Amino acid sequence: MRSSRSTRNRVAVSIFIITAIVAVLVVRLVDIQVVQASDLNAQSYDKLSVPQTIYGPRGDIVDSNGVVLATTVIRYNVTASPKDVADYTPIDPATGGDLPDVTPTEAAAKIAAITGQTPEVVFALLTADKTSSYASIIKGIDLDKYRAIVALDIPWLYYETDPQRIYPNGSVAGNLVGFMGDDANGALVGTGGLEEKENQCLAGSDGLQTYEKGADGVAIPNTTVLDKEPVNGSTVVTTIDSDLQYYSQRVLAQQVTSTGAEWGSAIVTEVATGKILTAAQYPTPDPNNLDATDSNFWGAIAFSSPFEPGSTFKAESAATVVDAGKGTPSTGVIVPQRYKTPGGAVITDDESHDPEPMTLTGIMQVSSNVGISLMSAMLTDQQRYDYMKKFHLGEKTEVDFPGESEGIIRDPTQWDEQTLWNTSFGQGLTTTAAQVASMYQTLGNGGVRMPVTLVEGCRAADGTITEAPSTQGEQVVSATAAQQTVDMMQSVVEGGYAATLLKIPGYNVAAKTGTAEVSNGEGAYGGGYLTSVAGLAPAEAPKYVVSVNLMKPVTITNGSAAAPVFQKIMSQVLQKYRVLPSTVPPADYPTRY
Amino acid sequence: MTSIAPARSPRASGAATAVAEPFDDPFDDAFLGDYSPPAKPKSRFTIATSNVLRRRKPKLAYAAVVVVGVFSIVVAQLTLSIGLSNGAYEIESLQSQQKELDRTNGALTEQLDGLSAPQSLAANAESLGMVANVHPAYLRLSDGAVLGTPQTASGASGSLTNGQPSLVPNALTSGAAAAAAAAAQAATDAATTAAAASSATATGTPAPTAGTPVATPSAPSAAAATAAVPWQGQLPAPTTH
Repeated sequence: MRSSRSTRNRVAVSIFIITAIVAVLVVRLVDIQVVQASDLNAQSYDKLSVPQTIYGPRGDIVDSNGVVLATTVIRYNVTASPKDVADYTPIDPATGGDLPDVTPTEAAAKIAAITGQTPEVVFALLTADKTSSYASIIKGIDLDKYRAIVALDIPWLYYETDPQRIYPNGSVAGNLVGFMGDDANGALVGTGGLEEKENQCLAGSDGLQTYEKGADGVAIPNTTVLDKEPVNGSTVVTTIDSDLQYYSQRVLAQQVTSTGAEWGSAIVTEVATGKILTAAQYPTPDPNNLDATDSNFWGAIAFSSPFEPGSTFKAESAATVVDAGKGTPSTGVIVPQRYKTPGGAVITDDESHDPEPMTLTGIMQVSSNVGISLMSAMLTDQQRYDYMKKFHLGEKTEVDFPGESEGIIRDPTQWDEQTLWNTSFGQGLTTTAAQVASMYQTLGNGGVRMPVTLVEGCRAADGTITEAPSTQGEQVVSATAAQQTVDMMQSVVEGGYAATLLKIPGYNVAAKTGTAEVSNGEGAYGGGYLTSVAGLAPAEAPKYVVSVNLMKPVTITNGSAAAPVFQKIMSQVLQKYRVLPSTVPPADYPTRY
Repeated sequence: MTSIAPARSPRASGAATAVAEPFDDPFDDAFLGDYSPPAKPKSRFTIATSNVLRRRKPKLAYAAVVVVGVFSIVVAQLTLSIGLSNGAYEIESLQSQQKELDRTNGALTEQLDGLSAPQSLAANAESLGMVANVHPAYLRLSDGAVLGTPQTASGASGSLTNGQPSLVPNALTSGAAAAAAAAAQAATDAATTAAAASSATATGTPAPTAGTPVATPSAPSAAAATAAVPWQGQLPAPTTH
């Protein structure tokens, strides 16, 4: 009996101890597996996991042929850990054996030879603060230099990638593509031109993935987790033809510099579509090196700088008169050289002449202010204003370019006696170069105004185009009125004062010269002239508009300053786009009756 | 290990009382008494014969199958994980290779964009003596008429840059274009010299890398790009209509 009781006691004690141990283990188990589980998992994951940024680059801006105007490239920053800077033993890549030790001084010289710095500068950067673990050696080096430095196999150097924006074509369309800058939070965003306007389309966003690494840093299979999908920026497709843009800029630049003008702009528009093929200006910024250009010219003059257009506006007045049935190319008025209006304003023609019976064609040919005023006066002020609004003058074009101006067309009730008359020949109102080009596009396109287009859309990686602009045209004047106006303008090229400068062998060209007085900014004229030519070719079936404006040229102060630029650009356009030479004789309306 | 063997049950004979039952169960009698129904012909328990026992003896084959099975599972598992981790290294190596190739591709694209910039094309074309003809003429196929006035292209009017390349500046290619032009000139000179010496070996002349900043460029130098490449395929057949 005694032995059996002691056995039972032993069993009881054992069971108690085992239960206690199991209980302790269970408590610990629950503590680790349940209570602290998430903390511990996180700790272990932190040790194992490697977060990795997947780079989602900003999209490109391309021209209509796919030529890259703006793109993002990878540059490299080299940094060092100064507290670790010491002798090191490079490994011979050929044999795998050790090479002689390299001292920091020698290393600095090797780095400097690649980066183009002096060895002293590099050495100073390496040793400036021996307690620091970060010192920037050089930023933004290209791939060749980066690989050369990596090949030095220096253990205390570190590398970062640094995406940068470049503009391979430099100042070609530099006024349009714009530039990058910092926003309020210090992030890099487009702050000018299309970079700004299309920032939403272009912007990409970096993604993030995490994997768990093994002892040697290689990813453990099946541990890669995509935390955030990278988004590549989309491509902005413009209507620009970069070759033509280059040619136009070159021709324009030569003429602006040789005539001493303040600036010049040249626009080429496709008549059927309203697409801007070229919007050249001089000076043009090179977005790679903005500081070389006066910041007044960093934007696109064609959109941002309104001016009183002067005589190129007579085309609008003539089309209006014909469309309203108040005249034809062959009918006209007696035109004196100086005319005192019933309200007391005085209009004069530039060249003195006896009172002559000029047709509307003749008025266009000699660019008579008096003649066009008398013809326009057959319409009411409100009618004339309504036509201007139908041409979308006094409002931004559909492009809505950053910094775009609306121009000023005052309500006819606010026109004073002089303005009332002046507006018929393009003074007393302001337009942008883009508006002038659009006006001529309308006349060339049978009176149908197409929306001014600079961007064809935002093209995603899968090729889908979004934000495609409207292609809905508006009939502004009748097809007859439009074509008759174009035909009248042929008389300028056939017999106007700049005829020899405007003619293009083989083609019928319609153009109008302009020499507008520029306001001095104090309510009076006298600040110089804006000389211009706007025209179309081939005149019998217009395909392209070229509009050239030179602000305040010094050596030549009338339309002859802009005429050679018009002639060269239009010749290049006709040649480049394989427009067949004209086979019909130019329109020949009588200039006198 | 009891089993029922009905054929050998003494009750099968239909005897009224239990006689010499090998495992006489007292409960059996107590429970059933003499009221054993004749329809129940057998005892529930009986000795398993050696015959039955022999059938249940474990066989070596089974053990062998299990051991081999376990072993092959272990081997397969091991092979699989070796394969997986080899794959991980291969992926790692291919990924870094791809990264390097992407970088090279980026650098080459950048170089191509620079070379195809209008400024650089114009400068290079002119350095080769090319001029634009500003007097286009057209031959109309329907009636053979010549439209426009054909004129010879002249150096002065046909020049794109007019010796003023800075009118349309490009900070990226201003240096490169000059270098490319110089290199092209050098390549032409080299080719000419070589051609004079031996026309057969002229084509492979390595062009000097003028203006190339780094000794081991990831991209071929501009000079190499502009050096004459001998035509190696068949001449393209003319497409006539």
